[in-house]
Amino acid sequence: MKVEPLHYGERKVYSVAGFNRGVADWVARLPTLWIEGEVTELRRHERWGSVFFTLKDPADGACLPASMPRGRFDALRLDLVDGERVHVYGRPELFAAKADFRLRALSIERFGLGAHLAALEGLKATLAADGLFAQARKRPLPRFPRRVGVVTGNDAAAKRDVLTTIASRFPAADVLVAETLVQGPRAAAGIVAALKAVAAAPEVDVVVLTRGGGSFEDLLPFSDERVVRAVAACSVPVVSAVGHEQDTPLCDLAADVRASTPTAAAKLVVPDVEELRRDLARMRTSLERCGHRALERERQRLRRAGVALERGARRAHEQDARRVELLQERLRRGPELLLERRRAAVERAGARLGTLSPRSTLERGYAIVRAEGGVVRSAEALATGDAVAVELAEGGFGARVEDVRR
Amino acid sequence: MSEPTFEEAQRELEAIVERLERGQAPLDEAIALWERGDELLRLCLARLDAAQGRIEELAQRAETAAPFPDPPAPA
Repeated sequence: MKVEPLHYGERKVYSVAGFNRGVADWVARLPTLWIEGEVTELRRHERWGSVFFTLKDPADGACLPASMPRGRFDALRLDLVDGERVHVYGRPELFAAKADFRLRALSIERFGLGAHLAALEGLKATLAADGLFAQARKRPLPRFPRRVGVVTGNDAAAKRDVLTTIASRFPAADVLVAETLVQGPRAAAGIVAALKAVAAAPEVDVVVLTRGGGSFEDLLPFSDERVVRAVAACSVPVVSAVGHEQDTPLCDLAADVRASTPTAAAKLVVPDVEELRRDLARMRTSLERCGHRALERERQRLRRAGVALERGARRAHEQDARRVELLQERLRRGPELLLERRRAAVERAGARLGTLSPRSTLERGYAIVRAEGGVVRSAEALATGDAVAVELAEGGFGARVEDVRR
Repeated sequence: MSEPTFEEAQRELEAIVERLERGQAPLDEAIALWERGDELLRLCLARLDAAQGRIEELAQRAETAAPFPDPPAPA
């Protein structure tokens, strides 16, 4: 339908109705397609021919008004609740009377389990590619946190489990609890805000993000991209304990440590004071034992050294003693030998002297005759009547010469 | 005349013996030499005996005294 403008000289001017109709015509030519969003503000009234609702983008909150003929909507028997994710098949429409733009829905499909799983798998792959789940990113938990942050539902059994476990293990622990919605369309943003607030609080060294078990849909906020990225970006280590053992929300993968239950998470973030006491006692015992052992070892070494020293000294002493004995022997034998040699020489000389003794000649019967001129060797020196002295082996006598034989 | 040393006495004794053995000394001198030799012989033997005694005395003393005292027993 052609919209004709009025002409004021050069200027073309359209009426409001004409303009609206023109845009509506143009919009009506746009294609019919599928749109994904969360159903909010669902308004159904028996008097109205259509059902109205708003489709909301879960990521950034962008809104799209939508409507559907009531008969068709009722025929789908969807029982949609606020915040539920759906796929809507429809085309854009401008209600010309009010320039009211909306999506005219022809069909609505609940975003089913399969679709959720597919979406989760896609998100998981994207986040993994971004490196959010990398082992290298995992930080060790502090052994003695100054303060423990807990992000949990406001009346959750999970909260009670965490708090009682922390109190029983480490009564002195300082705990900061941030309560938030943990399910429904507003939960993700609430969790992110609570997580940031707790991590930014002074002295908080570790955060426990926890929620008890629930249906697949109940746990969905913990796989929300915003929550997962907030966990990965948290300034302190995060322990995630969401749902039961078999559930693996994506925040578990991004957390530094995953715990199977809230109680397990509490055990991870604070040490057991009784166990610490036992450890200390054990360490003290082993320290004492080590000390004793070291002492005993040193004592034995000293004892061995003492024995070796004594043996060495004894050996040295024995050697010295033997050397001295030898020297003593030689000392004694030296002069003795000399003496014997001398004695032999002297005795030899003595023996020779003995054979030469004039007395030994006299003993054989010879006599020495002395006259005025000394020893008489020849009768020539004598005359008859001369007095002579005769020396014998024993004694001697005087005599006179009676005759001389020549 | 002072006492000759053992060596002097021994040398003189040897000289006297040699001289007597050559038989050239006159009898009186030979007797005097012999007497001197006898005296020297006694002197030498006495010196040797004295030295022997001294050595034995020293050896006795060395044997009774241990060269080192025993090391003290460890505590």
